[in-house]
Amino acid sequence: MTDRRPPPARKKARFKPFDFLMFGILIAGMIYIVYRVDQVLVYHWEWHTVFEYVVRRDETGALVPNVLLTGLMSTLRLAFWGTIAAAIIGLVTGLCRTSSNLFLRSVARLYVELIRNIPPLVFIFVFYFFISGQIMPVLGIDAFVRSASPESVAVVELLFSPIGLFSNFLAGVICLSLFEGAYISEIVRAGIQSIDKGQWEAARAIGLSRFNVLRDVILPQAIRKILPPLAGQFITLVKDSAIVSLISIQELTYVATEVAATTTRVFETWIVVGFLYFAVCYSLALLFGRLEKKMQTGRR
Amino acid sequence: MRLGRVVKSFIGAAVLSMVAATGVKAQVQQELSSSSVIEEIKKRGVMRVGMSVFVPWAMRSKEGELVGFEIDVARKLAQDMEVDIEFVPTAWAGIIPALLAKKFDVIVAGMSITPQRNMTVNFTTPYAHSGQQMTANKELAGDFSLEDFNSSDVTITCRRGVAACDQVAGRLFPKATLRRFDDDAQAFQEVVNGSAHAVVSSAPKPRFWTMAHSDKLYMPTDENLSEGNEAIAVRKGDPDALNFFSNWIQEQKSNGWLQERHDYWFKTQDWAGGVAAEQ
Repeated sequence: MTDRRPPPARKKARFKPFDFLMFGILIAGMIYIVYRVDQVLVYHWEWHTVFEYVVRRDETGALVPNVLLTGLMSTLRLAFWGTIAAAIIGLVTGLCRTSSNLFLRSVARLYVELIRNIPPLVFIFVFYFFISGQIMPVLGIDAFVRSASPESVAVVELLFSPIGLFSNFLAGVICLSLFEGAYISEIVRAGIQSIDKGQWEAARAIGLSRFNVLRDVILPQAIRKILPPLAGQFITLVKDSAIVSLISIQELTYVATEVAATTTRVFETWIVVGFLYFAVCYSLALLFGRLEKKMQTGRR
Repeated sequence: MRLGRVVKSFIGAAVLSMVAATGVKAQVQQELSSSSVIEEIKKRGVMRVGMSVFVPWAMRSKEGELVGFEIDVARKLAQDMEVDIEFVPTAWAGIIPALLAKKFDVIVAGMSITPQRNMTVNFTTPYAHSGQQMTANKELAGDFSLEDFNSSDVTITCRRGVAACDQVAGRLFPKATLRRFDDDAQAFQEVVNGSAHAVVSSAPKPRFWTMAHSDKLYMPTDENLSEGNEAIAVRKGDPDALNFFSNWIQEQKSNGWLQERHDYWFKTQDWAGGVAAEQ
C-alpha cells in the first residue's frame, strides 16, 4: 500500500564539450561588459565607505551593526509579519472565492481585482495617507506604545520597530500584506480548484462536513501543489517590502537612499544592498526548496 | 399636558442655545490654542520632526546617527522647548502629505518657501538662505557661457521636487532638457559620467562635488543662481505654532547661533570625516 521507495534516479547529467564552450562565451561576454563599464564609467570604486555603513567598529573596537544592517533587520521583520498576515488574508479570501456563498465570493473577488489592478505605489499612498491616517489615531496606538513600560518597549522594538515609528510599521505591514494577500488568494483558489471535483463529492458522500472535506481532503493536496508558487510569492514579498520605504519605515531600501546621498557612493551602496536582498531571498528559496522535497517524500 | 411639555422643552432649548452662543467665542479661542501643535508636543513630551537626508542639511554619520545643520536646528529647538526629539526620515516626495496626515509635527528639511507649497502648508520665518549652484561636465560643456546652457541640446539634472529643479533650472534654462532624479547623488553622478551637461542643486553640494571630481567638473559661475528661503513648515490653521517657531528663529538669528551653525556646515568641511563623505 505504501511505497516508500524513492523514484528511480534520473540519469546523471554531465557537461559536454559544447556546454563548456557556451560557458566560456558567457564568461567572456561578462568580462567584456565589466571592462566596458569600467572604461566608460568615470568612477573610482570605493567600497570601504559603504561597508562602514553595514558594520562599524565602536569605541572599544568591537564590530557593531550599522544602519544598513539594522535596515535589513527592519526589512526582515516587515517581511516576517507581512508574510504571516498575507498568508492568513490569502487563505481566507482564497477560500471565500471557492465558497458557494455568492456574497463571500463577490467580496473576495472585489478585493483581489481591486488590489491586483492598481499600482502598488498608488495603493500604498492611498492607504497610508487616507486610511491609516484615520484609523491609527482612533486606535490610539501611538499613545499606547508611548506609555508602555520599558520592558514592553524593548519587546516591541525587538519584534517590530523603533517605538516612535511603530504605527508606521504597522501601516506598512498591513499595506504589504493586503497587497500580497491578493496574489496569494489567487494561488490558494487555483490550488483548491485544481483538486478534482470527484474528491469533493466522494468526501461529502461519506458524510464529512464541508469544513472537514477542506481540512482533511482538499487542503493537504492543494498545499503540495501551491507550495512552489507560494514560495515565489513570499520571496516577492521580501523584495516588495522596499516600496513601503515611501512611508517613513527605516527598512533597507530607505536607509540605502540615505547612505547613498550621504556618502555619494551611489553604485557601491546599491550593489551592496542588492547583494543583501539576494542573500535573504536566495536563502528563502533554498529553504522552500527543501520544504518542497520533504513534502514530496512524505507523500502517501 | 403633553403640549405643555413640548413648549417647555422648546423654551429650555432656546435658553440653552443663547447661553451657548455667548460662550462660543471664548470657546473657539480656547480650542484653537489647545489644539495647537505646540500643546500637542508639550503633552507628548516629544517633538516629531519630518526630515529627509540632504547633504549637509541632514546626513548619516559613520555611527549611523543623523547629523547636519538641520539636525542641529531641530535639536536646539526641542531643547529650548524642553521636550525630547524624534526624527522621522521621510522620502522627499511624501514629506508634505505626511505632515498633513499628522505623521509628524513639523518639517525641518531645508524646505524653501514657494507659493505652491505655501498653498498647502504654512512657513515660519526662514532660518537659512541657501543658494542654488550649478556644476557642469568639463568635456561636454567646458567652454559654455551661462546662456549656452539654455539650449535644447543640453541636459540638466536635478533632484525631483526641490527648488533647484523647477524654480531655478526650469526658469533659467527653459529650453534645456530637465532630468529629475529622486536623490541628489544620482543627479550628480550622471554629470560626472558625461550623460548630462550640468546639475543644479543647493549650495554647497555643487562646490563639494566639483572639488572632489575636479578633473571632470567645473562651476560655470561662482555666483549663486538664486537665493532660497528655507523655513520650518507647519500645518495650516495653527497661528500659535507659527508665532512660536518664527520667534524662536528670530531669537537664534539675533544671538548669532544660526549663523555659527550655518557656517560650520556650509563653509567648512570639518565634519566630512565623520560622515564618510569624501567630498
